[in-house]
Amino acid sequence: MRYDSVLDMIGDTPLLRLDPAAHGVPDAEIFLKLESANPFGSVKDRVAWALLRDHIGEIAAEERVVLEASSGNTAKALQIIASMHGVRFRAFTNRVRVREVREMLSLLGAEVTEMPGLSECPDPTAPNDVFGVIGDLMEGEPGRYHHTSQYTNEDNLRAHYEETGREIYRDAGPVDLLVGGLGTTGSTRGAATYLRERNPDTTVVGVVAAEGDFIPGIRSAAEMWEVGLFEPGFYDAIAAVDSADAISASLELATRHGVLAGPTTGAAYAAARERLLAGPGGPVTAVVIACDRMEPYLSYYRHRRPDLFGVAGPAPAPATAAPSAAPEDLEAWSAAGEHVVVVDVRTALAFQAGHIPGAINLRDDLLEQVMEAGMPFSEASRVVFVCPTGDRSARFAARAAATGRRAYNLDGGVLGWRDSGRPLAGV
Amino acid sequence: MSQRFPLPAARHPIAARFIADAAAVREAIERFGSPLHVVFPQVMAENAAALAGVLRRHGVPYDIFYAHKVNASAALLAGASAAGLGADVASATELDRALAAGFAPNRIEATGPKAPAFIERVAALGITANADDLWELDRLAAVAPAGSAVPVVLRLSGFASPVVPHSRFGIDLADADAALETVRRAPGLELRGVAFHLDTADPAARVDALTESMAVVSAAYRKGLRPSVIDIGGGFRQRFVEEPEPFQRFAQELVTAPPGDLVWPGHDLGLRHGGAAAHKYGNHRPAIDVLERFLAAEIERRPVAEVLRECMLTLWIEPGKALVDHAGLTLTEVLYRKRAAGRDLVVLDLSRNQITPADQEVLLDPVLVDGRGDPPAEGVFLAGRLCLESDLVSRRKVFLDSEPSSGDVLAFVNTAAYQMDLSASSAGGHPPPPKVAAVLDGERFTFLADDTHGS
Repeated sequence: MRYDSVLDMIGDTPLLRLDPAAHGVPDAEIFLKLESANPFGSVKDRVAWALLRDHIGEIAAEERVVLEASSGNTAKALQIIASMHGVRFRAFTNRVRVREVREMLSLLGAEVTEMPGLSECPDPTAPNDVFGVIGDLMEGEPGRYHHTSQYTNEDNLRAHYEETGREIYRDAGPVDLLVGGLGTTGSTRGAATYLRERNPDTTVVGVVAAEGDFIPGIRSAAEMWEVGLFEPGFYDAIAAVDSADAISASLELATRHGVLAGPTTGAAYAAARERLLAGPGGPVTAVVIACDRMEPYLSYYRHRRPDLFGVAGPAPAPATAAPSAAPEDLEAWSAAGEHVVVVDVRTALAFQAGHIPGAINLRDDLLEQVMEAGMPFSEASRVVFVCPTGDRSARFAARAAATGRRAYNLDGGVLGWRDSGRPLAGV
Repeated sequence: MSQRFPLPAARHPIAARFIADAAAVREAIERFGSPLHVVFPQVMAENAAALAGVLRRHGVPYDIFYAHKVNASAALLAGASAAGLGADVASATELDRALAAGFAPNRIEATGPKAPAFIERVAALGITANADDLWELDRLAAVAPAGSAVPVVLRLSGFASPVVPHSRFGIDLADADAALETVRRAPGLELRGVAFHLDTADPAARVDALTESMAVVSAAYRKGLRPSVIDIGGGFRQRFVEEPEPFQRFAQELVTAPPGDLVWPGHDLGLRHGGAAAHKYGNHRPAIDVLERFLAAEIERRPVAEVLRECMLTLWIEPGKALVDHAGLTLTEVLYRKRAAGRDLVVLDLSRNQITPADQEVLLDPVLVDGRGDPPAEGVFLAGRLCLESDLVSRRKVFLDSEPSSGDVLAFVNTAAYQMDLSASSAGGHPPPPKVAAVLDGERFTFLADDTHGS
């Protein structure tokens, strides 16, 4: 299909029916509203365009700067739209917590002001409240800024009422259950309002992260009331999902249904399925809002599920122990002109802070993989493995010794070396 | 009847038992007077064991220093000593108290900005100096006798990470090299390690500060110094409530309530929109939670606890609030009840500054001792006795469990952290309330006068 502006591509997203054989809930039609198909990649494209569409000409003419509190998809979409119109944009956030999102914003040239968390010591004047800072800026220079205010702006709701909700109804007919993540709450609430007007029995479930847990893009149960658009009475239920379930569900969407959606979508899908499975049964039409794609959250997945990224567990230790070496032995070998390789198996941070002079750093899990592929040390050198106290390096020394290397484990480790008064090198 | 928005305070079993024991409360007031601060050394011992338990469970070499500034109480300081903790002192007076409580000089650490006379005593006694500035270090270097080894910890600040809160304390990272050089050249100083203290619950902030601090550890090794300590200070939260819902309900209502309904006219509670979710009085997670989450956070996909072991550093912490969480409460008699400004006002035998730290509103309901009957439908405001319109003990409308009247005793729960001493004055000839240590001995509370004030 031909478009003349990328902004025309916002909205009218696909509604995907999930294969019942693959989702496994009897008698249920589960649809995913693929907001991830928006041109900048998320449901927030609609919001950003709804917030700016009627004002962007004026903002550009008056050279005003757009301000918004956002750490993610809204900031990304606003930045793109602002750039296209030659307008400056500044984002304020307590914290951008996902690396790819932070990098994407930098790449697009967003000015992001990150503000540290709230003060907790008795200091009533702590100036670190995002909304307060935006307010102060606007008061300081009236007319210079335009605050889009996604959390309280009714245009956010309206976009989802007039577009998202209408599209869902057009494609799915009356909906029994609508499930969406609660971030600004605009998407779920706006769409739900429309759907309830067509079917007053539509059950609406808002999904939040479990207490103390973190799922990017949605709030935790405790923070929910902070959002100006949030009305607890509007929802039939608030479902708290933990990050492990959200991740599993999003992986299931990817592998069984071919939908690459982020952890928030996983959380919503998990909540929808749990509710349907616990329900009375019978034919039901459910819609889950898929708010964005999986790829921007790779570091989140990697952090939470390193096992999915090929990080191997430790290999069993060989039966025979390696000979141990004392610090004096190392010094004597070196003094005699022998080639000695000291392999430090600690993390890079610990190695950089202080290590035995001349040592190389091969972190234990990496060394494990390297040794799987073949012994990387010459038979001509003595190889001494070191860790903090000598307990963890022993098995590497043993494995190397088993292949005929002149391998040793340093007695007492780096700690013993340091505490005997020997020098450490820093990077 | 208007709606009630109570903020019930979490109560430690010992505090709950004391409040429920009307005879014990009466005895304390009769012997020591009203108002009265009561401290519970047994609760502190429990808190110390909980913090140490977390550190042991994560297998981190550690030491804990009690931040004495949190409460001037001699009984709590003695409790810290009995629990095997070190003492973190912020002044010569606190140092004297720590020595009197039996802490050996090598179990004492001096933190915060220091005057020359204090620096001289630190050097003479050889207690650990947690240096706030290059000026302090120069002074310390000048007065530390050659041949001695006064231990020095460099408090760092100015971290590049945007998630680390800014601080007015500490030596800027840009000056860290100069600080190391001062320690290296001083014939009487020995570098013990590096330190930071962050006023946040965010584990990511401590992770970033730790990571950046390691560059200073590395620079120290390069200079031939031997740091062995990373000191992450305190900033561990208190647990004020059992569950978050009442606080959330209240904060939500506050946004829409008519002015003057929940808050005394002319005041606000400092709960700006969007700023209340993490408010300290709304916290229901355990005090050890911040420490736990820090140790379990990851650096290079490895738990911080493990990385600390790899870095061969002993972890020092200096908790104050977390150690005295629930280890104290404040009693006051109700003088009388009146209508004022169209509102229901309960006037107390107490001044605001004697229970409120740095004028920060205490967002919890007190408990009426021996209260009977149904909870009253309406909330009340609490007033002090100073000649100030602003001397309201609670500017927030509080919701009591029964009707207060003259002579009743009101208990403010969990006041041992900063609330007793940080701002207390003797204005109007009302001295700060006396302190008493209450010890649960079998079925009975016994009392020990503990009249130490002002931190």
